[in-house]
Parts: sequence; structure tokens; C-alpha cells
Amino acid sequence: MRASEIFEVSMEHLLLVGISVGVALAIATPLAILLLTRARLRRWTLAAVNVIQTIPSLALFGLLLPIPFIGGVGKQTAIIALVLYALLPIVRNMVVGILGVDAGVRESAVAMGMTGSQVLWQVEVPLAIPTILAGVRIATVSTIGTATIAAAIGGGGLGTFVFRGIASANMTTVLAGAIPAALLAIIADEVLEWLERRLSY
Amino acid sequence: MARTPVVLLSILLAAAGCSHKPRIVVGSKNFTEQVVLGEIIAAQIERRLPGVEVDRKLDLGGTLLAHEALKSGSIDIYPEYTGTALTAVLHQPPIRDSEAGFQKLQDEYRKWQLEWMPPLGFNDSFAMVVMSDLAREQNLKTISDAVKRPWKLGVGYEFVERPDGLKGMQEAYGLRLEGDPITMDLGLLYQALRSKKVEMAAANATDGMLAHQEFTILEDDRHYFPPYECSLVVRSQILQQFPQLKGALEELSGKISNDTMRKLNAMADIDHKSASGVAREFIQTWK
Amino acid sequence: MPPLIEFRQVAYQVSGRDILRGVNLTIEDHETLVLLGRSGSGKTTLLKMINRLLEPSQGTITFQGKALSDWDPIRLRRSIGYVIQDGGLFPHHTVEQNVGLVPRLENWAAEKTQARVKELLEAVGLAASTYASRYPRQLSGGEKQRVGIARALAADPVLLLLDEPFSALDPVTRFGMQKHFAELTKSFGKTAIFVTHDIREALMLGTRIAVLKDGQIELIVPPNEFSKAETPEAKAFLATLESGAHAGV
Repeated sequence: MRASEIFEVSMEHLLLVGISVGVALAIATPLAILLLTRARLRRWTLAAVNVIQTIPSLALFGLLLPIPFIGGVGKQTAIIALVLYALLPIVRNMVVGILGVDAGVRESAVAMGMTGSQVLWQVEVPLAIPTILAGVRIATVSTIGTATIAAAIGGGGLGTFVFRGIASANMTTVLAGAIPAALLAIIADEVLEWLERRLSY
Repeated sequence: MARTPVVLLSILLAAAGCSHKPRIVVGSKNFTEQVVLGEIIAAQIERRLPGVEVDRKLDLGGTLLAHEALKSGSIDIYPEYTGTALTAVLHQPPIRDSEAGFQKLQDEYRKWQLEWMPPLGFNDSFAMVVMSDLAREQNLKTISDAVKRPWKLGVGYEFVERPDGLKGMQEAYGLRLEGDPITMDLGLLYQALRSKKVEMAAANATDGMLAHQEFTILEDDRHYFPPYECSLVVRSQILQQFPQLKGALEELSGKISNDTMRKLNAMADIDHKSASGVAREFIQTWK
Repeated sequence: MPPLIEFRQVAYQVSGRDILRGVNLTIEDHETLVLLGRSGSGKTTLLKMINRLLEPSQGTITFQGKALSDWDPIRLRRSIGYVIQDGGLFPHHTVEQNVGLVPRLENWAAEKTQARVKELLEAVGLAASTYASRYPRQLSGGEKQRVGIARALAADPVLLLLDEPFSALDPVTRFGMQKHFAELTKSFGKTAIFVTHDIREALMLGTRIAVLKDGQIELIVPPNEFSKAETPEAKAFLATLESGAHAGV
């Protein structure tokens, strides 16, 4: 196996992760904003994404397979499963981060005549960014790991090497998948943590 | 009172003692045919050797995994294919002559104290499968016919890695691929063909789905693939430990044709019967 | 001249508990009214009704002659400065950005905002050149409170509301702030409503002192009449002066 092949597959893996986390962010943001003011809905939603988290990854991929349109062999099914898994850490941290902004700061912002939207976007979100980023970091690192399962349903990525290596008892092949995946996870963790620190107040 | 702990202790000891009952462990790889065969072996042993406990360790993740498990004694018996054993296990060039091949396997495996039983009766070769409409449209009957255009190929976990797999086939035929082969669990290949995620699949000749007219096997006109006759590999020690085992296993030899195996696989994959249910039906209808 | 603020039979309940009962109160321009009371007396609740952080359960409040419910809350709050105990400064904004917040919300020109920020920082005793670009985490408690006051004054509000702004400071700093505050309100000519549980602070800063007990106003008098107060809660507060105990109950 050539280094170029490993590189290509690693990029394929990153693409899977990037798209999944991106879509999860796009869904989580309006969802989190909606949940800020609705305590009941918030409880139910967080409970629901929590339950999704408990489904073993291979099982979730398997459950999605037979569903028309979103299922079937290939990347899109994998991405849908990965998005579902990424939702919990991101939504939860968005909500907790914004609600956790110091009550005095929030009260001052309101008392100075900032509109709800101004309070949210100029005060709460900037102050919640470190917490939100922590959620994104957790989601990204765990998606890098979970995405290895995508190979079982034709989704590609570094899992391909892992499964092939196991089937042929070829440790080199397994490592060709496992090591880049571990490296990607470590790099992602470091980069996002650096970003968290830079944006903390 | 002092009696309760004594009672509990004796129950525990009795239970521990129970594990000294004679045991045979049946293994298998992780696709339908293997699991069904594993259940058939187990059912046959249970039928012919009453008093022997049969443990099932089915769904092992691949050829080499199963082989290692057998060598180490984790399992005592599993179904293997001659072509696969020669190339993937022994790393030998494939042998076209079935008898010569079988003899070679017997000799080599005995060095590990493993015995090959006489073949069950079917040849589960790698099969290059396409949708029948496509075959009709583009007039494809053999793999050579298919070489005229590149293909989006779907494969299981082993086809790319094995010496009797993709690379050799491309050399023998000059088959071109569109992009990289798409890897997936073997069970998903036919779904992938139907939904056109792949155009050709490296499947297996006795897959249950092939009982359908929907799919066509492209003939291996250059005889690239060696024979993959299925048989049972057993640890010699187990054969010695259980004298009736040999006879029970030999009873299965020659009893399962390609057609039969395909039908059994179809029962599991299409009718969704459990592997143990399929095994039971098979044993009963053929007595 | 109508009073700046008028409370008529204002009451407030939450979870079945009475926090304010039938409060009647008028506040005139340019006075510093101190709301003095123990914890739970309802003084903070009363304060928060003025800028509509809380809405009364019963009764009406008018501001500049107009019912509060007729005011657009945003416009109302932009004309009222609000200072709380920990300052409530935005940790992610510099001192300059914090103080200039309301002017910016009101779309003041950049130079005008900058000049105003400088003026106010100097007024609260913080050199603009040193402090303008600092972040709240780099400030001491006293400095944060001063920035808080500067921020409250920035857009030249009609009224200042202060909720125990100096309670968290050490006595020496607190004393300095109290003196400074008294000078500031006089020089800026502001009306202020000041919540505290510190009788000394009340006597020092108020033009009138309103004693609250259990959600009702027991007494409103100027400081020079306070020592002659006969009502129970007022006397309780006075007693703390005699024993030399720390101010506040």
C-alpha cells in the first residue's frame, strides 16, 4: 500500500467528518436558539439526542440502511448517522454555554436597552464561544473515530483499511487505517483546543 | 444459618463441574453461508453425538481470523474453501486441479495437526455479478465481454487484499475500474447493485440472491479463479477425542450442491429465516 | 412639574409569595432616593420595576407622566442607567467598549462616543489612557464599579438605578466610592434611586430615605429627620449605628 493511497483515504475520511460536523452545526444552531426559551422542549430534545448517543454506532448505521431515500449503501447513510451522533455534544454545549452566561452580565445587557437579538448575538454567543467550541471539539474527535464504521456500509474512509486488515489478519493494513485516524483525532483536538483558549475571556 | 452457604457452594461446584462435559466448538466466518454451514455442522454433531455439548463461535471476522482461531484451539472446526486456503492461508499460487490442490492442503495442514474432511459438494467461487438488465443491454456473458468499459466495482473486505482477488483478476483480464473499488460488508453488495451505487460486484457464486433472475454471474472464461470447494477443517486432536465425529462429518460430504447451498442461503437472506432454522430444515429434509 | 416616577398601589407576587404590597411612592427630579431595607424586604424588586426588568402584578407605575406599560421597553431602558453589585461589565469588551455601549446602540458618531467615554472615565477617577483598553478581568473590584457607573452615565440618562453597587467592596474602597458618587450625581445633576442595606451609606448619600419592610414602605424621610424616626424598622436600623456594629443588617 502506497503512502499516496493512505493520504487519499485519509482525505476521504476527513471529508466525511467535515461534512458531518458541518451539517450537525447547521442543524444545531437554530435548534439551540429555539431551545433557549423553551424549557420543556429543551428537556425533551436533549433527552432524545442523548438516546441517539446510546445506540451503538454500527447498529445505527444498520438501522438507517433500509430507509428509502436516506438509506442504502454509501456515504450519505454514513453521514446521516454521523450527523445524528454529533448533535448531542454540539446542541448541549450551545445551550449550556449560552444559558450559562453570567446572570449579572445578561441582566445588565437587558437593562441597558439591548434587544433580545442584540443580547444573544453581541453578549451571550461571544461569551459562550469557548463552551460551544468545546462541544464542537468533542463532536469532531468522536466523529473521526465513529467514521471508521462507515466502511462497513460502503462509506469509505480509514475504516476500509481496518476492516480489510482484520479480514486478512494483516496488521499492517489495520495500522494503515488506525494510525492516521488516531493522528487526525489528536490534531483536531489540539487545534480546536488552541482555538478555545484564544477565544476565552 | 450455616446451611445456606454450604448449599450455595455445592451448587457452584456442581455448575463448575458441569463445564467438564465434553465440548466441541464450531466456528465460522462472518457471512451468511458460513453461518448457515456452522449451524448445520453444529446440528449434525448434536444429532450424531448426543452427550457432547456444542459451542458456537460463528461470525468470526474473516478467513485469517478463523484460521488463527482454529490453530490456537479457540475453535475446533470451521468450513473453509480450497482456493481460499491455498492462496490466503498458505500463500501458495492457486492450483487449478482440484485433486492436486486438495492433496496439497491435506499435507500442509497436517503439519498444524489440522484435517481436511472430504468436500461438501459445492464450489463457492468469487463471482463477478452484474444486474441482468445491464448484461442483456451490453451483451455481457463472460468477464472478457466486460473488459470493453470501466466499472464501478463493489467488494467485500477480502477481495482487494487476497492474492486470488482483484489484482490477479485485473492482470488476467485487463479489467479497468472507474475510481477505487467501494468496500462494504458482503451482505450489502446486492443492495448496492440494485441502487446502482456499484455496477459490478465481487460476490460469491452460491449467494442466496443469485437464485433471483435479477442478477447475472459473468462467466470466468479465462478460468482465473481457482476452485473453491467447501469442506470442513478440523483439529486432529478433536477427531481423536471423539471417534464418532469423523463419521458424522463425513456424512455431510457430497450432500450440498451449488444449487442446494444457494437455496439455503436464500432461505436466510431473502426469507429471513434464522441460520439455526435453516440448518434444522436441511437436516430434517435430508435424513 | 409632575414627579419623575410614580408608584400607585403596586404589588407583586411570585409563587404565591407577596414580595411587594400596595406600594405608593413618588420620586422627584434630581433627588437621590435611597431604598433601605433588609434582604427580602422587596427593595431590589421595586427597583427592577422601574426599568421593566420586572412587571408589577397589580398597580401602575408612571415614568415622566406616561404609564410604564405604554413605554417601549428598549427606549425606556436606554434612558435609564443601571448599576449592579458586581458591575455586570461585559468580560469580552474593553473598558472603552463597555462604557461606550449605549452611545453606540444609540448610533452616536464614533468621535462623540470616544470623547464621552474619556470624559466619564476621568469623572470616575480612571485615567482614560491607562484604562480604556483594559479588560474587566484586569480591574480591581473598585475599578470595575467605577467603570459600571461610567457606563450607566454614558448616554446621559434621565435616571440612575443602583442596586447595592458598593456592597462587595472593602470598607476603605467603599467609602471612597460613596464620596465620589455623591459628588458625581450632584455634578451631573442626575436623579438616582439607590438600593442598600447599609444605614450609613443611606444617611450619606440619600436626599430621602425610604425604609422598606416586608414589601411595604414604612417610612420616607430626609436623612436629617431619620435619627428621630419612631417606626420599628427604622429604629432597628438606627440601633446598629449606636452599637458601633458594621452597617447593615
